[in-house]
Amino acid sequence: MKCYREEEAVDYCIVGVGSAGAVLLQRLARAGFKVVGLEAGPFWDTERDWVSDEAGSHQLYWTDLRITGGSDPIALGENNSGRGVGGGSVHWAAFVPRLHPSDFRTYTEDGVGCDWPISYKDLKPYYELIEREMPAAGPAWFTWGDPHGYPYGPHPMGGVGDTLVRGCTKLGIRVCAGGPVAILSGSRADRPHCIYRGFCIQGCKVGAKQSTLISHVPDAIAHGAEIRDRSMVARIHLGPNRRVNAVTYFDRDGREHVQRARAIIVCGYAIETPRLLFNSACPGFEQGLANSSGLLGHYLMVQAGNVVAGRFPDLVRLYKAPPAHAMTEEFYETDPKRDFARGFAVQTVGPLPIAFAKQMAKAKGAWGWGLREVMMDYNHWSTLGVLGEILPAYDNKIELAEEKDDFGLPVAHVTFSLHENDHKMIRFAVKKVEEILLAAGAKEVVEEQRYAHLVGAARMGTRPENSIVDGFCRTHDIANLFICDGSVFPTQGSANPGLTIQALAARTADYLNQQGEAIFTSSHVSREKPPVRRDLSPPVTFGSGVPRV
Amino acid sequence: MPGATLRELETAVVAEAEAGRMQRSLALLAGLTSGLSGLEVGYMHYRAGFGQRIMWTPIVMTQALQAAGIAAAIQPKLARTLLPAVSALTAVDCATGWFFHIRGIARKPGGWRLIVPNLAMGPPLFAPLLLGISAYLGILAARLQPEFSSASVPAGLRESIERHLCLATGIAALCSGGEALYSHHKNNFRYWVQWTPIAVAPALAAAAFARRGPRWLLPALSVAAMADGAAGFGYHARGILRRPGGHKHLIYNILYGPPVLAPLLFAACGFFGLLATALRGK
Ligand SMILES: Cc1cc2nc3c(=O)[nH]c(=O)nc-3n(C[C@H](O)[C@H](O)[C@H](O)COP(=O)(O)OP(=O)(O)OC[C@H]3O[C@@H](n4cnc5c(N)ncnc54)[C@H](O)[C@@H]3O)c2cc1C
Ligand code: SF4
Repeated sequence: MKCYREEEAVDYCIVGVGSAGAVLLQRLARAGFKVVGLEAGPFWDTERDWVSDEAGSHQLYWTDLRITGGSDPIALGENNSGRGVGGGSVHWAAFVPRLHPSDFRTYTEDGVGCDWPISYKDLKPYYELIEREMPAAGPAWFTWGDPHGYPYGPHPMGGVGDTLVRGCTKLGIRVCAGGPVAILSGSRADRPHCIYRGFCIQGCKVGAKQSTLISHVPDAIAHGAEIRDRSMVARIHLGPNRRVNAVTYFDRDGREHVQRARAIIVCGYAIETPRLLFNSACPGFEQGLANSSGLLGHYLMVQAGNVVAGRFPDLVRLYKAPPAHAMTEEFYETDPKRDFARGFAVQTVGPLPIAFAKQMAKAKGAWGWGLREVMMDYNHWSTLGVLGEILPAYDNKIELAEEKDDFGLPVAHVTFSLHENDHKMIRFAVKKVEEILLAAGAKEVVEEQRYAHLVGAARMGTRPENSIVDGFCRTHDIANLFICDGSVFPTQGSANPGLTIQALAARTADYLNQQGEAIFTSSHVSREKPPVRRDLSPPVTFGSGVPRV
Repeated sequence: MPGATLRELETAVVAEAEAGRMQRSLALLAGLTSGLSGLEVGYMHYRAGFGQRIMWTPIVMTQALQAAGIAAAIQPKLARTLLPAVSALTAVDCATGWFFHIRGIARKPGGWRLIVPNLAMGPPLFAPLLLGISAYLGILAARLQPEFSSASVPAGLRESIERHLCLATGIAALCSGGEALYSHHKNNFRYWVQWTPIAVAPALAAAAFARRGPRWLLPALSVAAMADGAAGFGYHARGILRRPGGHKHLIYNILYGPPVLAPLLFAACGFFGLLATALRGK
């Protein structure tokens, strides 16, 4: 791997080599820029560090101190961000539905949430590219949103998918099986196909599940990018002319370093990105870097992720497939017949025994011998997840807490409360999933309240007064500072965010490529749409899989 | 009387076959079985995501062979030029495919040491050979004379073709039976009928290889294989419709249900056997 000197100003310094960071790193390196990625977590050796063992995989998550509050506090840690090269994509389930065109215009269409500064059309070519780069497996025809097909064939269903399909078919609800999921259904180049053991959330040891660690990072390194792992960025430095020029970070031994860069892209995930910007407050930006609007940290969003479990007389064996393999988006959009705006998706989830035990402890209040009894029945349960759109709210936010981490940096304080529309949506969704399970033949259903996928808190928008970044992820306040990760979402839809995060990163990379030197030298902001660069994909992206019709 | 006309037709067909003039039927058979195999390869490779580029080649070749077979049935000249050329190419493709399928099995965790699970879960070992049989028929057809042609057939050709057809019948039956064995094994032989192709296939192969024994044996077993294939097709179709989602998820269920066309390929072995019988002469 290439090594840059710290005094030497690299072209781009990327903070966080996760879902978005790695895609940017790979594309910018391929385009010939000097790029350094600073990553707080380790550089995983998939063979040595990962085990197909539920309890042995906890180091994949960001479990450092964070404070949570509000009337409906979110559990932080293993249900949200990742830590290490690949970020959240290392432990995601890899469900990869696209956002619907309506997601980009919820305010215009439904009078709720807000509109994105970009439309579905802007992102569509990048959805197509990333789906090939992952590659995504799924049905040849996915009917919801903007209908499209997937480049790899769908996966065989596991028991949970069977119950979803059976229940939905009984009730006349359209449902799709075998994806969309970023898991190989056939081997490709040096990556083998899935072996259906269900350890995806523990970091697929086989390499069938996409994480940017295996799909983009090798190509980034091959093209001259440097990744410094266990390097925790503490602050971003503002130089003259309202331009950033360096970051301070702590290496694995706690030593402080300064890396100079001509432009900086923050890709640290919905919590750590605002935290870093708050921690980088300086004269001129007392409330946090790039926060002249005062909106940094606000409009944090999380999806309702309630899990409904049903007990079946027959064996289901919920571990014998990737957790992500069947879904329906039939209830995705606003339906005037319902008393709430927007909607939800229903997806399979296949918790392994420890996660399942926790769910049952919450859902049934099972404990002691009772819990043991439920667990002896593990193979008879099927679990379906709601993925519901919670609308952005100003009072759901991230601030700095009094408490400090090991480096002496203030940690994040997250406040979260549900609002009326959210409550109505969740009630409706849970009832619907219960109906599906009962129709499929479940004899008992129970529900656990949960959230999934944090996004927002540095939203994109058209003007500096209503947002932090513009449609190309450039901060309104500082011309050479970009934020590119899930935190820029103005609304979140009911689709899992990972694909959109990677697609946005690919689009941002095209924009940076098109702008070239101007990013480093000029403060003029161009709004010109970049041409789609297909030549920046990792190798073997094209030529295998089913051609798109 | 339609009955009498039918009988006349049958006599005429048998006479042509016995004379060794059955190029058109054989060309058509090569084309149609190749088309059938093509469908099977199509969805199996789709299910495997077309992860390797080479997985497209049998799709192209089966379509080409199907077209060539039909064209040759219409235009006898093509049966001597285009058909053998396309068939030879297909045969090369099948051999390549066989190599890749074997390598695919060997590359699965455990390789040959875990032969039973890897055979059942890996790429189907015999499938490329089944397609190879169609190519073989295509090459055979080139050597015959078209039906109702006045040209005479060289002495000994009929016997030679008959032997080849017997060989094809036997190999195809063994391949088909092998496929049935491990895929029914994968299903734990849940239904007793799943044993029938495993019983019929080796018997048919034996009757085809051993050219002695009672004359009725080969045709009888051929008819049995055809009947079994037809019944299997019914069962497989039923299996697909019984999957969650049934006909509402038809394409998906065809993809992952019992292989719907496989029994028809077994039935085709029976058909080869009948053809061989017809060539046997009095
Ligand atoms: C259990 C689970 C299942 C999921 N399943 C799905 C799914 O099926 N589909 C889907 O689309 N999404 C899923 N997600 C969500 C998805 O993983 C995240 O939305 C996505 O990875 C976020 O991408 P990101 O680039 O914003 O951040 P990340 O991928 O988390 O990357 C951020 C990186 O930045 C690093 N970092 C942060 N701060 C600093 C700093 N100060 N200095 C240096 N480095 C820093 C972190 O270590 C991390 O590696 C799931 C999440 C979880 C927890
Ligand atoms: S089920 Fe498939 S994708 Fe998931 S961990 Fe196992 S091999 Fe990897």
